[in-house]
Amino acid sequence: MSQQDPSTINGGIVVAMTGKDCVAIACDLRLGSQSLGVANNFEKIHQYGKVFIGFTGLATDALTLSADLKYKHNLYKLKENRGIQPEVFANLISSTLYEKRFGPYFSTPVVAGLSEKTGEPYVAGFDCIGCIDAARDFIVAGTASDQLFGMCEALYEPNLESEDLFETISQALLNAADRDAISGWGAAVYMITKDKVTKTYLKTRQD
Amino acid sequence: MGSRRYDSRTTIFSPEGRLYQVEYALESISMAGTCIAIMNPKHGIVLLAERKITSKLLEQDNDNDLEKIYKLDDHILVGVAGLTSDAESLIDTARIHAQQYLKTYGDQIPVENLVRRISDIKQAYTQYGGMRPYGVSFLYAGYDDLNGFQLFTSNPSGNYSSWKAISIGSNTQSAQTLLQMDYKEDMTLDECIKLSLKTLSKTTDSSSKLTSDRIEISTISKDLVTINGVEKEKMSLKIYTNKEIERMLKEHKVNEKNDDDEEEEEEDEDDDEDMEEY
Repeated sequence: MSQQDPSTINGGIVVAMTGKDCVAIACDLRLGSQSLGVANNFEKIHQYGKVFIGFTGLATDALTLSADLKYKHNLYKLKENRGIQPEVFANLISSTLYEKRFGPYFSTPVVAGLSEKTGEPYVAGFDCIGCIDAARDFIVAGTASDQLFGMCEALYEPNLESEDLFETISQALLNAADRDAISGWGAAVYMITKDKVTKTYLKTRQD
Repeated sequence: MGSRRYDSRTTIFSPEGRLYQVEYALESISMAGTCIAIMNPKHGIVLLAERKITSKLLEQDNDNDLEKIYKLDDHILVGVAGLTSDAESLIDTARIHAQQYLKTYGDQIPVENLVRRISDIKQAYTQYGGMRPYGVSFLYAGYDDLNGFQLFTSNPSGNYSSWKAISIGSNTQSAQTLLQMDYKEDMTLDECIKLSLKTLSKTTDSSSKLTSDRIEISTISKDLVTINGVEKEKMSLKIYTNKEIERMLKEHKVNEKNDDDEEEEEEDEDDDEDMEEY
């Protein structure tokens, strides 16, 4: 019991998907200590300007990382006098994670946003030392990432409209969480389009 | 001149007990563009700065690139008089301090806290050997939950002080006199803007008009916003664009001589009354 994998102590998942002129990112709300559920309102997605980032893995590291990125994002805004692009933010996260190459944060973030210039959806994932995985379709992370991969492979179609994308990402998240004992306990879905961001809480099984 | 032996080093007092380098720094600031700030502790603070245009070929991009007013954080603005390059390096450190505070305490840095940290740096350079003091004065306009709106100024000596209305840069003496005469406790933010514009137009060279490319204006204020049908006070920080400044100059008739004179007369009467009270 003394030695265990830090990235699976607290549990939790994040998934992001691209659609037609829209992008979605969703997370579960559970925070646990192994099999013991501790909180059902632990939101893993944070907003930085128009960029959304979900942090999975060890909760303490996720919180530290999100505070550090807020620090860097605020300074970026002040110095550059403009908002940050999702691609740029992905590189910022990558270098931030690699700084801790030999004592890494046990967190695997997921980035989602719309590129301001082109309006193209952008999603990217990372390993815990900052290798960027910029996918065209979807990114999964967390303790049920295998299950999420399966759900996304089965349900995802390219160029979905925002309503359909919402349904797809919600079903992928819900059904993956149901096959993982330490994920679930509620979920939050962000739908990001050019002129609107909607946040929806999903009712889920409570076991 | 007894100063020659003592003005090459900042660390050394003259026999009269003066620090010449610090005084020279203050002198260089008194030639820089004027910066005026006026506060109403309930409504907010207006910050007005005059930029000196050295050549008409110099690129002017007032909307995206301010050179006299900077944001230190979402709740603190700063106006600069003096060496811009010195100012920018201090502003860089100020911004980092503000973000470091936010990261460690999860709360925005209190205004005076930041002012003190910058002033400490300035003070240090009046003691280090072989270095010159920072050649800038700052006007800090900020808001925090502890003390509400606050207006500070700091100079190269490392001193800082808190004000209701203050100016730095050239012609501070006359600007300060005008502010002292016309400042009223119950001015709205708009009236604060008007007073700042009038003060600036009266203290700068009368030959040149105030134009939008010669000044920068920003405000920090509490506005009523309706969120989900509920009215709430929200702190907001605004940096005015070229067009907005032009509109304000027209609205307040800053450059119109006749109007100004009439108003002046009225004010003079008011001032007399004020003086009598004192």
